[in-house]
Amino acid sequence: MYLLCAVGAMGIAMALPRRKANPQIFGGLIAATAGGLGILLLGITTVHQTGVSNLPNIYFYIFAFVALAAALRVITHQKPVYAALYFILTIIASAGLFLILSAEFMAFALIIVYAGAILITYLFVIMLATQSPDENDQEVLAGYDLESREPILAVVAGFVLLATLLTLGFRGVDTLPTPASGTLAASNALMSEMPQKVEAALKIAQPELGKFTIAKFESGAFKIDPVARTVEVVLADKTEQTVAWPDDLQVKNIEYVGFNLLRDHPGTIEIAGVILLMAMLGAVVLSRKQVQMDEDAKARAVRAMQAEAADQTESLGVLAPGAGGVADAGATMASDEAAMAGGAR
Amino acid sequence: MNLITLAQDGFPGVMHALTLKHYLLVSAIMFTIGLVGFLTRRNLIIMFLCTELMFQAAGIALVAFSRFHLNATGQTFVIFVLTVAAAEAAMGLALVVLLFRRRESLDAQEWTELKG
Repeated sequence: MYLLCAVGAMGIAMALPRRKANPQIFGGLIAATAGGLGILLLGITTVHQTGVSNLPNIYFYIFAFVALAAALRVITHQKPVYAALYFILTIIASAGLFLILSAEFMAFALIIVYAGAILITYLFVIMLATQSPDENDQEVLAGYDLESREPILAVVAGFVLLATLLTLGFRGVDTLPTPASGTLAASNALMSEMPQKVEAALKIAQPELGKFTIAKFESGAFKIDPVARTVEVVLADKTEQTVAWPDDLQVKNIEYVGFNLLRDHPGTIEIAGVILLMAMLGAVVLSRKQVQMDEDAKARAVRAMQAEAADQTESLGVLAPGAGGVADAGATMASDEAAMAGGAR
Repeated sequence: MNLITLAQDGFPGVMHALTLKHYLLVSAIMFTIGLVGFLTRRNLIIMFLCTELMFQAAGIALVAFSRFHLNATGQTFVIFVLTVAAAEAAMGLALVVLLFRRRESLDAQEWTELKG
C-alpha cells in the first residue's frame, strides 16, 4: 500500500505542469495505474476477509476511477477552462458514487448546485480574468499556468498525509450495514407522521376499501401503529377497521433527509441561509468597487497600447490613439486612464 | 433520533461487498489530489478549484459515514458543506476578479505582500 502511495506520488509529481521536458502523459499514466492498483488491492483484501465476491461493484470502481482521474486532470491541466470542465466530470462521477450509497437527494443536489451553479461562476470568472488572445487567435497561456510551484515538496507533503490517513483509518473491514429490523422500525415511526402518504399508498394497494379517512385520537394524532405496521381507517359508513400497511411502504431518501434537516437540525438551514445572504452581499459589494491598477501594471498597459497604436498607424495609416482600446478584460476605468495617459504623450 | 435505512430493495445486493473503506479510500485520495493541487498550482482560480475538490472529498466521506451509521445527519451536513462551498466560491471569485483588475495577473506569487 505504501509502495503504491509512493508510485502514485511520483506519477503526480511528473504530471504537474512544468516548463521543459514535460513527461505529463507518462506521469498521469503512472499515477492512474497506482490508483487503480490500490483500489483493486482493496477489493482483493475485502474478498479475502469477507468471502464475498467483489465483482458486482463494478459501478463503484468505474465511478471512483473516473472521479479520481478527472481530479488528477483538474490539477494537471494547463488551461483553467479545461480544469473547470474536468472538475464537472469529477462532480458527476461523485454523484454516481452517492447514488450507489443510495443518497439520491445528495446526488441530484450535488449536480444542480456544483455543476449548475458553482462551476458556471468559475467559468465566468475564468473568462473575465484571462488575457484575451492576440491577433493571430493564438491562445496565450500565462507563465503561472505553465509552471507549478515546488511540485516535489508539495507532492511529498500530500502523500505523507495520505499515508497517515491510510495507516490510521484502514484497520479492519467495515461492511456497510444492510437495513436491519431496528432501523426499519425507525422508518416506520417516521411514517406515522405522514398520514397522507399512508393514505395514498393504501388507496392504491387496497382499492376495495372505497372512500376512507385515517382515524384520529382525541389529541389529533393519527391512529397509525408503526410497530405492527397497521393503521385504523374510518370507512364511508363510519365503521372503523384496522388495515395493514402495504408492504413496500417505506420512507424515501428525500423524505428522510427532509425530516432530518427540518426537524432534527432546524438551526442548520437558518445558518446556511444567513451564510448565503452574507456571501451574496459581500460579492456584490466587492465587485462594485472600482480598483486602480498598480503603477507597474498601468505602465505595462500604456506600453501595450502604444505598441498597438503604432501597429495600427503602420498597417492602416489611420491615426487613432486611445480609440484602439487596450485588449484587456474588466479593467475599464483603469484602462481609460491608461488610454488618456497614452494619448497625452 | 436514530432513523432509518435508505437502502431500497434491490440495491443492497450490490452494496454487500462494498465497505466503508472503499469510500474512505476514494475520499482520501481525492483530498490528497486537491491538497497537492492547492500547493503547487499558481493560478488563483485553480487554487480555488482545488479547495472545491477537497470539499468534495469531505462530502464523499460524510455521505459514506451517513450510510454506514444509517442516519441522515451526514447528508444534512453535506448540504451545509455545499452551502459553504457556494458562499466561498462567490466571495473568493469576487476577490479574484478584484485582484486581477489590479495587477492583470492571476499569479498567486504576485501577492506575496498584501498591503491594500
